[in-house]
Amino acid sequence: MSAAPAHRDREHRLEVDWTLCDGHGLCARIWPERIGFDDWGFPVVDDRPVGEHQLPHARRAASICPRLALRLEPS
Amino acid sequence: MTVLPTTASAPRASAVAEPPILPLGAARLLAGASSGRAVDHLEHRALAGPLVHRTQAWLCEAARTVGLLGRGGAAFPVATKLAAVRPGPATHVLVNGSESEPTSHKDRLLMRRVPHRVLDGALVAAAALGTSRVTVAVHDQEAAQALTTACGERGDATAVRIVVTPAGFVAGEVQAVVNGLDGRPAVPNGRRTLPSDRGLEGRPTFAGNVETFAQLGLLALLGPSAYAAIGTGTEPGTSLVTVFGDVPRAGVAEVAHGTPLDLLTGATGDRPVLLGGYHGTWTRARGLLLDRPALRASGLAWGAGVVVVLPETTCPLGEVARVARWLAQESAGQCGPCVFGLASLADDIARLQVGAPVDLPGLHRRLGLVSGRGACGHPDGAVRFLASALAMFPEEIGDHTTSGGCGRPVLGVLPLPGSAR
Repeated sequence: MSAAPAHRDREHRLEVDWTLCDGHGLCARIWPERIGFDDWGFPVVDDRPVGEHQLPHARRAASICPRLALRLEPS
Repeated sequence: MTVLPTTASAPRASAVAEPPILPLGAARLLAGASSGRAVDHLEHRALAGPLVHRTQAWLCEAARTVGLLGRGGAAFPVATKLAAVRPGPATHVLVNGSESEPTSHKDRLLMRRVPHRVLDGALVAAAALGTSRVTVAVHDQEAAQALTTACGERGDATAVRIVVTPAGFVAGEVQAVVNGLDGRPAVPNGRRTLPSDRGLEGRPTFAGNVETFAQLGLLALLGPSAYAAIGTGTEPGTSLVTVFGDVPRAGVAEVAHGTPLDLLTGATGDRPVLLGGYHGTWTRARGLLLDRPALRASGLAWGAGVVVVLPETTCPLGEVARVARWLAQESAGQCGPCVFGLASLADDIARLQVGAPVDLPGLHRRLGLVSGRGACGHPDGAVRFLASALAMFPEEIGDHTTSGGCGRPVLGVLPLPGSAR
């Protein structure tokens, strides 16, 4: 039996590049459990680490951003 | 966020037009500076002794021993920053003399009166990093002139580049300075990058505030034991501070850490004191000592070293409302929460000032929605100042809400660039 690849154990975090974000809001619509809106329509991202089982949600939220402002980064 | 065009700011008014140097008994950096002109190289060497070069490892160890903290406002440990810079001939040393905090005058005074202190520190750092690439970024013309003259007086500063950079609060942020010097818009980066990794020309860069460099030069000259002969155990040495408002004497002072702030302000009674400038905090605490670690532990920000005692004759809410509007205008216009958040907070505080209805729980909630959501520390610092002001002046806010004012005029004690005090 082989050990799980090292990257599987790494935690990830969603990070917003605020200079790119235009507040389109697609990320919050696709993953409302972890991404909300502020009073001005910009995303409020839960800054807790993204668990392994949530990675598909996080990847989808990041990839739908039309400005490429949301990134999934190893924490 | 779409980038708004940032217009060139009006010429900066000084917090104190030409502040006197207050003699408070700890003149190290400011030794000889009271003559009203720049200390030239001969005088400087007579006062300071010969320039002493040290290795990067020596400087890091000495900075760690004396707990040297950056003097631009963030108080980051210098040893950590210097240790992270890869040495070599392509490495840069960047001296940030932008001094974009409107209440601060200490960096300009340092560059104008004792420019060789700054150059000593920059050259010591450059030699330790095996490079000759030194850039000083300044937006005060007189400071730039004093530094240029000083470079001409000594043989070891021919490679030093003095660059006059644009004004603007956020333009003084180190990554904005780097971008401006490299010919890009002088705004912070979207992805936080450290100058030690990617600074000027994309090279490793040791960047710091002018006073930080002057302190580093002094540390190289004195060695850690003599450097720590004054100050406190947690923070040896001295700091420069700009003091004004309702104080016995306004000006710039060099004080040993551990000095009671009362020495600068006189007895302040119940008057509110602003520490750290427009990214700083308000306090009515008495018996405070100048010691960054201790102040930080009390939730107070020392920032770039500013102490303002607000006189009882001015309307505090009106003073805060002017600064709130200015802080919103100083957003580089890149990040939505900063652009819209600071503008909305400034609107709410303007409404409080005239006694118009304000959703106070909403205002406090919005205060919490801005911090940490930008490319630089401007929204965080602005919110720190505003939240602290709202907590400091509940009675005044009550007076304005019930009577539309507190009966006091807004004197403009808190200076804004382009407006006379």
